[in-house]
Amino acid sequence: MTTENTSLKYSYYPGCSLHASAGEYDLSTRELFSVLNIRLTEIPDWFCCGATPAHNVDELLSLSLCAKNLELAEQVEGDVAVACAACFSRLKTTQHVLAESPVKRKQVEKAIDAPLHLESNVKHLLDILARDFGLERLAASVKKPLSGLKVACYYGCLLTRPTDVPNLDCVEAPTIMEDVLKAVGAETVTWTHRLECCGANFTLSRPGVVIQLSNAILDSAKAAGADCIMVGCPLCHGNLDIRQKEIEGVYSTDYGLPVFYLTQLVGMACGISAEKLGLGALIVNPMPLLREKQLL
Amino acid sequence: MIISQDTMDLGFVRKVEALSGTSVRSCFQCGKCSAGCPMATFMEHPPNRVVRLLQLGQWQRILAGRSIWFCASCETCSTRCPNKVHLASIMDALRKLSWDAEGPSKESYVQLANKLFLQNIRSYGRQYEMRLAAVFNVKSGQFLKDLMLGPKLLAKGKLKMFHHKNKNMTEIEKIFSRIEEMRKKGEAL
Repeated sequence: MTTENTSLKYSYYPGCSLHASAGEYDLSTRELFSVLNIRLTEIPDWFCCGATPAHNVDELLSLSLCAKNLELAEQVEGDVAVACAACFSRLKTTQHVLAESPVKRKQVEKAIDAPLHLESNVKHLLDILARDFGLERLAASVKKPLSGLKVACYYGCLLTRPTDVPNLDCVEAPTIMEDVLKAVGAETVTWTHRLECCGANFTLSRPGVVIQLSNAILDSAKAAGADCIMVGCPLCHGNLDIRQKEIEGVYSTDYGLPVFYLTQLVGMACGISAEKLGLGALIVNPMPLLREKQLL
Repeated sequence: MIISQDTMDLGFVRKVEALSGTSVRSCFQCGKCSAGCPMATFMEHPPNRVVRLLQLGQWQRILAGRSIWFCASCETCSTRCPNKVHLASIMDALRKLSWDAEGPSKESYVQLANKLFLQNIRSYGRQYEMRLAAVFNVKSGQFLKDLMLGPKLLAKGKLKMFHHKNKNMTEIEKIFSRIEEMRKKGEAL
């Protein structure tokens, strides 16, 4: 097993949130990948990709920040592994736009004063787990199947859209999250809002927007009979987990839906302890649910 | 303001097309973008109408409103357009032109958040979330916004009081200044 896996090496771009509000996503990613014997080496001196605010008002800046980070990633051997859906989307968009527009390519080359690395493979963690590592090997690594846990897989916006850019899965009917969860023994529910927007970075400027959009998502997951939600983006997580109590207050309802990062659920199935996966950092306490399902 | 020949400005529309790399003329107003838009409910002009106003050269009406600032960049419109109009990129271009012109807009909170976010990159390299939220509250005059969340997040280790600057700040600063220079010389929009 060990020799088989040594070929999997990645240069890791955690993204800013994973060093702050989404620390448990970083922690669980490192733990899980280490257990699966996949090597992650953090890109030295990586910095913010610009996220939505940069492309919102300055595309050239956004492309340049991402292009520079892709250049930094070249220092580490392997494809680029990205945890955050927004960073993933920006890095992929940069590669796509610069491959299509010679004018923008020239401008960005000048802005970063370095050659462009458009050919490096940028991969979301889901892609690495489902395809590079593979579902069969993932199933074989399971020590404690997540039997009886009904999960609503939430993709949000940027893992799949737009067409031809992230190329992670089908834009309208993706299955990669469900595939990964089924491989580790969980059940997935069929629901309506897995690709709807949570309100994303309006959480800072216009939280009312987030309350309204995220409420619809929580409502739909609950109606479908889910015990919990799984995400692959720190922004989606913040809106659905951190703001859940507030949403329940506004709409006078009670969802009580724990929101896990994908690496936390897969990590649990691979026998990693709750502490090492940072489950204590989740705002909606997942422990009662996990005890009820005898997963602790 | 009424739609008329007098208020028509196609020069501006050409700029939008150059920046976004997409053609507003390809739109045949099927309305799929607005049907799928999660933010249309917050906009005075839903996405398909933004494109229609551009086709008619009526950009002042768009920039004066808040629609472009209430786009969440979820990319649903671009994904579903049967004519491959990349509406999310058109929204980016419109925001950029509005931002540059410092023109009238009914939405200031989103612009303030964007500005502080970009300043943070220039000062620290990586986002300093705690500072971003605190400065936003002070500058927007909403001192009590999300106050109840603060202690909870601190207790969970989700808000870091201290933040270290990147070691490569000089290089990051150069990206910003080179772009400013290129714009001064007219080498980039």
